[in-house]
Amino acid sequence: MDVTAGQASSAPPFADSQRLVYRHSVTTRVTHWLTALSLLVLVMSGLQIFNAAAFLDASDKTDPAHRVLSIDGGQTASGANIGTVTILGHTFTTTHILGYTDDGMGGETARAFPGWITLPGYQSLADGRLWHFFFGWVLVLCGGAYLIVGFARGDIQKLVLRPADVPKLIPMQLYYLRLRKEPPHYGKYNPLQKLAYTLVIFAFVPLLILTGLALSPGVDAWLGPLPWLLGGRQFARLWHFLLMLVLLGFVAVHLVLVLSTGVVNNLRSMITGGYRLGKHEGLDA
Amino acid sequence: MKRALFLASSFSALAGCAQATNALNESPFHNVLELTERLNHLVIGTRGMARLYTEADIDWNFRTNSFSTPSDDRYTRLVNDGFRSYRLLVDGEVKAKSVYSIAELRALQYLAQITRHDCVEGWSAIGKWGGVPLHTVLSLAQPTPAARCVVFYCFDRADDGTPYYESLDLHEAMHPQTVLALDLNNHPLDPDHGAPVRLRVPTQLGYKSAKWVHHIELVAALDHIYDGKGGYWEDQGYEWYAGI
Repeated sequence: MDVTAGQASSAPPFADSQRLVYRHSVTTRVTHWLTALSLLVLVMSGLQIFNAAAFLDASDKTDPAHRVLSIDGGQTASGANIGTVTILGHTFTTTHILGYTDDGMGGETARAFPGWITLPGYQSLADGRLWHFFFGWVLVLCGGAYLIVGFARGDIQKLVLRPADVPKLIPMQLYYLRLRKEPPHYGKYNPLQKLAYTLVIFAFVPLLILTGLALSPGVDAWLGPLPWLLGGRQFARLWHFLLMLVLLGFVAVHLVLVLSTGVVNNLRSMITGGYRLGKHEGLDA
Repeated sequence: MKRALFLASSFSALAGCAQATNALNESPFHNVLELTERLNHLVIGTRGMARLYTEADIDWNFRTNSFSTPSDDRYTRLVNDGFRSYRLLVDGEVKAKSVYSIAELRALQYLAQITRHDCVEGWSAIGKWGGVPLHTVLSLAQPTPAARCVVFYCFDRADDGTPYYESLDLHEAMHPQTVLALDLNNHPLDPDHGAPVRLRVPTQLGYKSAKWVHHIELVAALDHIYDGKGGYWEDQGYEWYAGI
């Protein structure tokens, strides 16, 4: 796009700016949507599995003295249905939302997470496990394919946070908070994107997989140090749950930014690969 | 809580025609989901040894989490005579069919180990299990080359009369920590904890550790036994390979 003389002061810092470019490879796009589906299924079936023992302990064996969270349901002395959430000893009444809630079959019952958020909706630990383990493999295989192809193509190298990006993190955050007029110069991904994606791809998702594996007696016998490092089997269950919340937080921020930074352009880049560069964006950094 | 599990699994059967989401839990889609089990078995398998704990870690009041003491008449008679007339039968694909009393089992070989019991529901408890390593019993029975799986028949039944049973492949059965437990926490098993003989498989989830075992059969295949999935909970939809 031509820049008129009057706007010269805001001239694009990159020659490529505002051009339509091919941003995401077929591998990236396919694995992105399969990963999104996997995470959705894993969270919903994970909550189904959680419902079978609706508490989390910071210990190896089950130990109420180290209870961090429990979701309980039943009847009060007067016979009224009640659901409660207890976090570190503080109890909150959550009837109809958590503890005593949607049974997935049109009624209500004592169960931790409601049927509308679990997979399957009705209470079935056996089916929840089948869904969870199948999509666990989908996630692992997708992640593996993405990493291998991404490294070979050089996509990952552009995504990883590097030392040179660190000084740009705060200016970028100030720009997002509208406390700074211009963002720092960056290439395919801005420094905060790099930080978020680096943490998710190389820390949160691998830790989610490892903490999940540490729940398995077969894995614990095989890789004894794994549950030990996590503080024990029940502690691994707590980590697995907390990391799920962290990942949900990432997804929430991701969705807000997808919607607020040009939703059509962003979605197109993840469907056809075509992406119109913003005025601060270049092809490389 | 296993009763709760049982109820939960019957819920899923009841909901069969009412729920749209159930279409996804029926064949052939369900068969695809079930493929994962083989992959898990292949990747995780039965490697290594379950962690051994110390006396300080023991849950002295070990959680009971199953059907209550069997109401089976044979079992009630055994409880009344202090299990003196109990006999464990080992047969099937073996060269030496054998029968053991409790005293004979105790005399074979005794192994006590403090291990963690991990329930499929998510909770864990630690107990000291003492008894005969299963590999000792199986070696004495001399499995034939056709033997692939070891089936454990138990005294208890579900409310609808379905007998409880379990099975392991020969490899899992021969694992050095797989034990026919006679004692829990230094005392003979009580009826609620599976007296007089229960299986104890510390490398797999708790539902594999069948209680009230009275008959061990070595077989070439599982498909002719009850619903053919290899165990009571397996017939309800749980994985036969319970290492994960």
